[in-house]
Amino acid sequence: MNIQDIEQEKQQALAGIAAAADEKAVEELRIRYLGRNGLLQDIMKGIKDVPNDQKKEYGQRANSFKTEVLDAVNARKETLAAAGGQTGAGIDLTLPGAWPSLGTRHPISALIDRAVGIFRSIGFTVAEGPDIEDAFHNFDALNTPESHPSRNPADTFYLEDGTLLRTHTSPVQIRYMETHKPPVRIIAPGRCYRRDTPDATHSASFHQLEGLYVAENVSLAELKGDMEFFVRRLMGREDIRIRLRPHFFPFTEPSVEVDYSCHVCGGEGCRVCKHSGWIEIGGAGMVDPNVFKAVGYDPEKVTGYAFGMGVERMAMILYGIPDIRLLYENDVRFLRQFR
Amino acid sequence: MKVPVSWLLDYVKITATPEEIAEKLTFAGIELEGMERIGGAYSGLVVGEVRAVEPHPNADKLRVCRVFDGKDEVQVVCGAPNVEAGGRYPFAPVGAMLDNGSFKIKKAKLRGVESFGMLCSASELGISDDHDGLMVLDPEYTAGTPMDTVLGPPETVLELEVTPNRPDCLSMIGIARELAGIYGVPLEMPAVDLQETDIPVTDHASVSVDDTEGCGRYTARVVRDIAIRPSPSWMQRRLELSGIRAINNIVDITNYVMLECGHPLHAFDKALLKDSTVIVRRAAANESMKTLDDIDRELQSDTLVIADAEGPVALAGIMGGAGSEIRDDTKDVLLESARFDPDLIRATARRLGLSTESSYRFERGVDPETVEWASRRAASLLASLADGKICRGVIDVYPNPPNVRQVSCRFDRTRDLLGADIPDENIIAILSSLGLKPQEISGGACVLEIPSYRGDLEREVDLIEEVARRFGLDNIPSAPVAARINVDADDTPWRHREDLRGEMTALGLQEITTYSLVPEGLLNLFFGPGEEGRIALPRPVTMDQSILRTSLVPQMVETLGRNRSRQTEDAALYEMGRVYRRNQDGSSTETIRLAAGVMGVPGGNSIRTREPVTAAGMYGRIKGLWEKLAERRPGLTWTLRPCEAPWFEPGHAAEIESGGAVVARFGVIASGIRKEWRLQDPVAVLDADADVLASSGRAMPRYQALPTYPSVTRDLAMITGHDVRHEDILEIIRANSPDELETVELFDVFAGKGIPEGRKSMAYSLTYRAAGRTLTDDETNGYLTSVMDALRNVLHADIRDR
Ligand SMILES: [Zn+2]
Repeated sequence: MNIQDIEQEKQQALAGIAAAADEKAVEELRIRYLGRNGLLQDIMKGIKDVPNDQKKEYGQRANSFKTEVLDAVNARKETLAAAGGQTGAGIDLTLPGAWPSLGTRHPISALIDRAVGIFRSIGFTVAEGPDIEDAFHNFDALNTPESHPSRNPADTFYLEDGTLLRTHTSPVQIRYMETHKPPVRIIAPGRCYRRDTPDATHSASFHQLEGLYVAENVSLAELKGDMEFFVRRLMGREDIRIRLRPHFFPFTEPSVEVDYSCHVCGGEGCRVCKHSGWIEIGGAGMVDPNVFKAVGYDPEKVTGYAFGMGVERMAMILYGIPDIRLLYENDVRFLRQFR
Repeated sequence: MKVPVSWLLDYVKITATPEEIAEKLTFAGIELEGMERIGGAYSGLVVGEVRAVEPHPNADKLRVCRVFDGKDEVQVVCGAPNVEAGGRYPFAPVGAMLDNGSFKIKKAKLRGVESFGMLCSASELGISDDHDGLMVLDPEYTAGTPMDTVLGPPETVLELEVTPNRPDCLSMIGIARELAGIYGVPLEMPAVDLQETDIPVTDHASVSVDDTEGCGRYTARVVRDIAIRPSPSWMQRRLELSGIRAINNIVDITNYVMLECGHPLHAFDKALLKDSTVIVRRAAANESMKTLDDIDRELQSDTLVIADAEGPVALAGIMGGAGSEIRDDTKDVLLESARFDPDLIRATARRLGLSTESSYRFERGVDPETVEWASRRAASLLASLADGKICRGVIDVYPNPPNVRQVSCRFDRTRDLLGADIPDENIIAILSSLGLKPQEISGGACVLEIPSYRGDLEREVDLIEEVARRFGLDNIPSAPVAARINVDADDTPWRHREDLRGEMTALGLQEITTYSLVPEGLLNLFFGPGEEGRIALPRPVTMDQSILRTSLVPQMVETLGRNRSRQTEDAALYEMGRVYRRNQDGSSTETIRLAAGVMGVPGGNSIRTREPVTAAGMYGRIKGLWEKLAERRPGLTWTLRPCEAPWFEPGHAAEIESGGAVVARFGVIASGIRKEWRLQDPVAVLDADADVLASSGRAMPRYQALPTYPSVTRDLAMITGHDVRHEDILEIIRANSPDELETVELFDVFAGKGIPEGRKSMAYSLTYRAAGRTLTDDETNGYLTSVMDALRNVLHADIRDR
């Protein structure tokens, strides 16, 4: 046996050990290579036939054969033991992992967060106001006089002291403009209240997302462009179109309702858009001059747009939730669907 | 508002399908809410008279009828339960078509009996969903009358939403006017041909308007010798399609004219008006009257009434009185057409809880100039449909006719506000198409005269809205999006709170959202009925949502309980939201809280360690949550002390004080409360001030050099009294160690077997490190000895030798 033979035998031995299927096979290989009558003994015996000038190297090779093979045997035995003595590829890779459970965001707050993020990217900042409002901020300053039908006590929760639970997030517009000079570019999410009897699509309390942009020369065309940008980002579809329909709100003029071409069918008509191709996303319009007067802005110097959207409605459309009450039941099996 | 399309087309000659009309109106701001098709092709259907009904020999549920169709008597098998001999029903003889011609009636054999045609239900005629039985017809109809005559030709009724700013559209003519403008065709007003007698109206009636603020215009006509009878069927049908019940020709005419032109009218039986006198005045405080609906109404001094010489005979603009209504023997009619003050009508209608077609229109404002037209129109119909003789002239009290309003519209302003390049001429053309009359064009603006029916057009911006509507919102371009940053605006608190939500989510909790209105019982369960500062709704919709919540905790526990009842065993939830409180001075405060709740053994999908859920274990979890939150806020200094709140399990709750205020409480919920939701195992809850957590201790981190020399760790196990607290031990270890002590970690707590009664074993791992060198064994042993001595001396700890 010469030096090359030892090297070759070693490689073969290492490969064999690494592939051994179980401990018994490893032990058999150990005996074959390192046992009392094993190959190592033959190698050791062979040293006497080696020329003297090669004896040192032969000895080193023999030694490394012994240590490397022994290490390989021990390593393989450990690996197999760790796998519970199992044969084959080792552990059951499919057992459930042990990491703490995933946290989830509630669909309402997640949607608000997402929407706010989109508006923030074009320079809006968040503004907030109280749930318990006075009639001035909720109605009067929003060009909605006492005589206006929308102030009917049948629709509004009035409290004993004459304050009320805000019926929309629009009073935040007033509060913000009262305390800030133009330009104003805010997005105001929050809870609102209406005296609706709870059912699958109505809730006495719900969330709205209000937007207001006031500066010199703000136009309806900008409202349209910004709404288009928002819906495209929200839905992740760049082909979405915006359609405005004339409407009436006391605090905007012109007032519009905003539809977008269905994010599911692209406008062809499907179940989600009730086969119309369009989905209503909210109300909007150009801020009425009387609103500016109420907060001390000069309507000849600034113009602005405002919009409001129902968050629950949007969440129901986006996620296909059939009943608004599911959003408030907080069944963890429901919550888990929105990770 | 219900609008039968065929009626609408009386005033505007267009050829468009109902769908096209609805679409045009929707994009003009009058939104379609629904479209109803009434009737269909009744080709061949007639009124059938059932002359005899016999049982079917082979079927219990079928009957064999003899039906007379006007010419022949035929045998018909019928399964309807309501078929009766002598009754009249829609009859489809052999050869007639149903379902718009898709289904032809043939001779049939039903369980062995021949049947020559079919008696029909309303649903089979396609006019309603009622398929409970045959459609029962008025016995006045003679057999053989075509069903087309009975039901009229097929009709489409549009249900339109007219916004509160457009009272001028609350009528057929109003809608037709919009359509005429849209299609560019003339509005065709019905011709009114008034044949008056020689007797002047003033011989038969007198009017006095005492309150000209409440009543800006009052007209009265007298029509004599009328004949009361049902109104013609075409009128009845139009009223019924519009949702108004037909009564008699006089009442029907006033309703018809109201639907036609939007102006409410009232007809009095003149004989029942004392002295034939009408006085428009406020009610006296003690007056009352019985309205048409037979209810006695207490009147107040602000109620506007129509009175005769004796007392009130009608609630002005709202409802007539029972004492002066049209009766079967009415001969002479006083016809009222007036304009009442919208605010006054609204206040009274609201106070009385009475909303009528009339009050609805007056509240929104009617056109003062239509008053007289409506009166003439109704009078001419009273002549032609009730044989009435119209007295000459009209009593018209109209002391202060409003000036014709003029509004100026700047072209540049219009273009700027809309962001659309609309030429001057187009702006003028659009406004003209709406009936506005251009008076003067100069200086880039146009002054326009506003027609009286458009009371809503008062300002330039109102005109710009009209331009936008008619120009078409679709034609307004989308301006390119630009990020415009307002450097002064700051929403840091919001962002910090969003970060806190993100943190809770990252800690593996699921966010919940609950109602901010809660039932009283839920708050009482936690905080007792005497809790101060609650804000209750005076008129809740449901008692389940009647008080603004004062804490997020009750709904958190309720949510855990709801999930447990749905077989969810473990949950970790959080909610951030407002709570509400009334202050001593009557003001209210809204604060934002963060609540968390844990239940069961956490694990998600992993293999669970099936260890029992203990109160101590749940406390540990919720405290661990607090510690994680605190760890992220190194600037927040806080101390922990026991919390005695009764809704916590005694001895299992702590509160956190920081800066002199309690900023958080956490612990195990009391078993008496858990019982409400059958939560047998302990659950734990955290309730914290979200704004403190969101804003505090988030100083800019500063880099510290990483240690270069190795540390030495020594374990220390001791047996102490059971009431010795972990924090006490920590304090002694720290107080008796040099700066080289880096960390102290508790790694075992044990009581029970092998440990004396009333004592426990605590094991700590102490890590030492010196900044500029490697510590020697002697040094660390010395440190440890000082600690052990102190523990022995102060706590009488029994240090276990290793
Ligand atoms: Zn669709």
